[in-house]
Amino acid sequence: MYKLTGVNKIYQKGRRTVPAVRDLDLVIEDGEWLAVQGRTGHGKTTLLQLLGGLDRPTSGIVEFDGQDLAQLREAQVTRVRAASIGFIFQTFNLVPTLSAAENVEAALIPLGTPAAQRRHRVNAALVSVGLDDRARHLPSELSGGQQQRVAIARALVKEPKVLLADEPTGNLDEGTRDEIIGLLEKLWRDLGLTLVLVTHDSSLARRAQRVGVMNKGRLAMAGLNPGGCAARP
Amino acid sequence: MFFVTYLRRELRRRMRQAVFIALGLAVGIGLVVVVTAASSGVKKAQADVLSSLYGVGTDVTVTGATPKPPKSGAAPKNAQTFQVGPGGAQFCSNGKCHNAAGQTIDNLGSPTSPISQSKVAAVARLHGVTAAAGGLTLNDTQIKLPKNFGQPGGSLPQPKSFSVDGVDIGHSSLGPLSSATVKSGHSFTAADATSNVAVVDSGYATANSLKVGSAVTIDKVKFTVIGIVGQPQSGSPPDIYIPLARAQAIGTGPDGKLKNKVNTIYVTAASAADIPAVQKEISKVLPGATVTTASSLASQVTGSLSSTAKLANELGKWLSVLVLIAAFAVAGLLTMAAVSRRAREFGTLKALGWRSRRIVAQVLGESVAMSVIGGLVGVGLGLAGAALITRIAPKLSANVPTAGGGPRLATNGPGGSQSFSPNATHTVLVPMHASVTAEVLALAVVLAVAGGLLAGALGSWRIGRLRPAAALARVE
Repeated sequence: MYKLTGVNKIYQKGRRTVPAVRDLDLVIEDGEWLAVQGRTGHGKTTLLQLLGGLDRPTSGIVEFDGQDLAQLREAQVTRVRAASIGFIFQTFNLVPTLSAAENVEAALIPLGTPAAQRRHRVNAALVSVGLDDRARHLPSELSGGQQQRVAIARALVKEPKVLLADEPTGNLDEGTRDEIIGLLEKLWRDLGLTLVLVTHDSSLARRAQRVGVMNKGRLAMAGLNPGGCAARP
Repeated sequence: MFFVTYLRRELRRRMRQAVFIALGLAVGIGLVVVVTAASSGVKKAQADVLSSLYGVGTDVTVTGATPKPPKSGAAPKNAQTFQVGPGGAQFCSNGKCHNAAGQTIDNLGSPTSPISQSKVAAVARLHGVTAAAGGLTLNDTQIKLPKNFGQPGGSLPQPKSFSVDGVDIGHSSLGPLSSATVKSGHSFTAADATSNVAVVDSGYATANSLKVGSAVTIDKVKFTVIGIVGQPQSGSPPDIYIPLARAQAIGTGPDGKLKNKVNTIYVTAASAADIPAVQKEISKVLPGATVTTASSLASQVTGSLSSTAKLANELGKWLSVLVLIAAFAVAGLLTMAAVSRRAREFGTLKALGWRSRRIVAQVLGESVAMSVIGGLVGVGLGLAGAALITRIAPKLSANVPTAGGGPRLATNGPGGSQSFSPNATHTVLVPMHASVTAEVLALAVVLAVAGGLLAGALGSWRIGRLRPAAALARVE
């Protein structure tokens, strides 16, 4: 799915340069669940943004499905994101004025899906996260866990190849956290997704197939996780 | 439909800001509508005043030169004079004098020097001239002298006067009668060219209890009223119209009778672009005559009509432009602020695969929706403002210059010479109608949409260029 070679991302802050990612090489196989750990400010989110084409590396190659995202035009990267990459954010990032169903529908708009088909797929996505009875609720009328479920439905409604989750349980209480991670794990298994999950929570990371640790912009792979989720059947 | 749903929800979310922006634009657009309506109303009033003076279709007017005032102690040649002395008062006309006491003196005079009627044809042949017609603008002045006139204690009474227009019946589309509408009876026909018939202005007819069939006396000649006409309300038309040939027969000018003479030529140019050249050519054919166009006459009109026109065109125009610019600026700044607050939301949409232009279209749509609402309210405010102006605005006064001075009546007596002359200008009261036209409404819509597009473009310009990662990093 992904092959990163010699990737660097350097931010310029006035005269100072801040290397967020340094000389990163990484291969992520199809259907793999990779957890990326690390302390705050060590480049986890930057890595995720590079994987999702939300930002461009300063140097290096970010190959996704055979295409170097760093070399594509912005419109092309946007098309790749629309069709193949789903995002889940720590703060849910739902549009506050749209209902749960409309938030999920927003992910299908760039694909030009006809309205009737959109409704059907939105409904199916909400059913898969157990929120079909909350379709018309606004985000302000949903709990944190429910909002994150809506975000997961939004990420999955377009049947992406990869799901990128940035601290998906960071804003949730323990019980809800387990609920959400359990849901993600189930969907990963059932749908055969490639899942890259950024977290600073070790207990969460241990559930993944493989764990990498970001430390001052460098990625060290901790290897396979024998005590984790186990291989997909 | 998603676009509309998102737009509607977002406007509802920031209702207060949306109302503020819409109201700001409404005030700006309303002001533009009111000022434009008032300005066009004033322009129409000015045009009515001018057209009533010389009639519809007249582009250039030629009048004879104003005769020089008489030297003190000397009566002008052919003038009618009163001589007051120890033997009583005498009235002298054309060199003959007689006792004036108890007499009614009636004079139909031309205030300007006459022009040969052959010059009318010469003007008509000029390049750029479509038609030319001659006329006589005369004043009939009557003084009823008391029986003790000329004796100690007796003074010259105030004369009564009315205006008489000698009309070229063969060119009825030119001249003051061309803009009149017949209220009763009929206007002149070709058969009336040498008849003692008159058409009377409705205002004069009402004031003097005249109707079709009544008799009016002009310079001691009886004319039968065949029609009553009305002129545009703003005009100051002649009181009585008679055939040109009859006016030439009974009127007098500074140099005597007016046979084959006119004192005004009405000219129609082929186009507005030809008017300056025609004006120049006529001045060559008739040096010494006064050649005026509608625009040069407009500059001589004074009074509150003129002041209001300046106010509407200059102050009003700039005020409405400034208010509109301020409204656009506020709308733009508020939209930019609102978009900036939604940076993370737009970053998320970009992460979902929304292209920048779709996001820009969303912002533009929200902005245009607010502006269209503001525009509609603005049109409503403008219509209400225009209606209010029409309802409560006082009539505007227009001091319109008349051609030359008054009748040639002078006295020579112990007190020196005196002369009678009606005012060189007369005041016309013009109602103010602020009219909103379809063009003004279209302008309002265009301004509203333009305001919305400008505000939306300002607001969305930066967000469209922002990388998704940078947008997502923004804190709301």
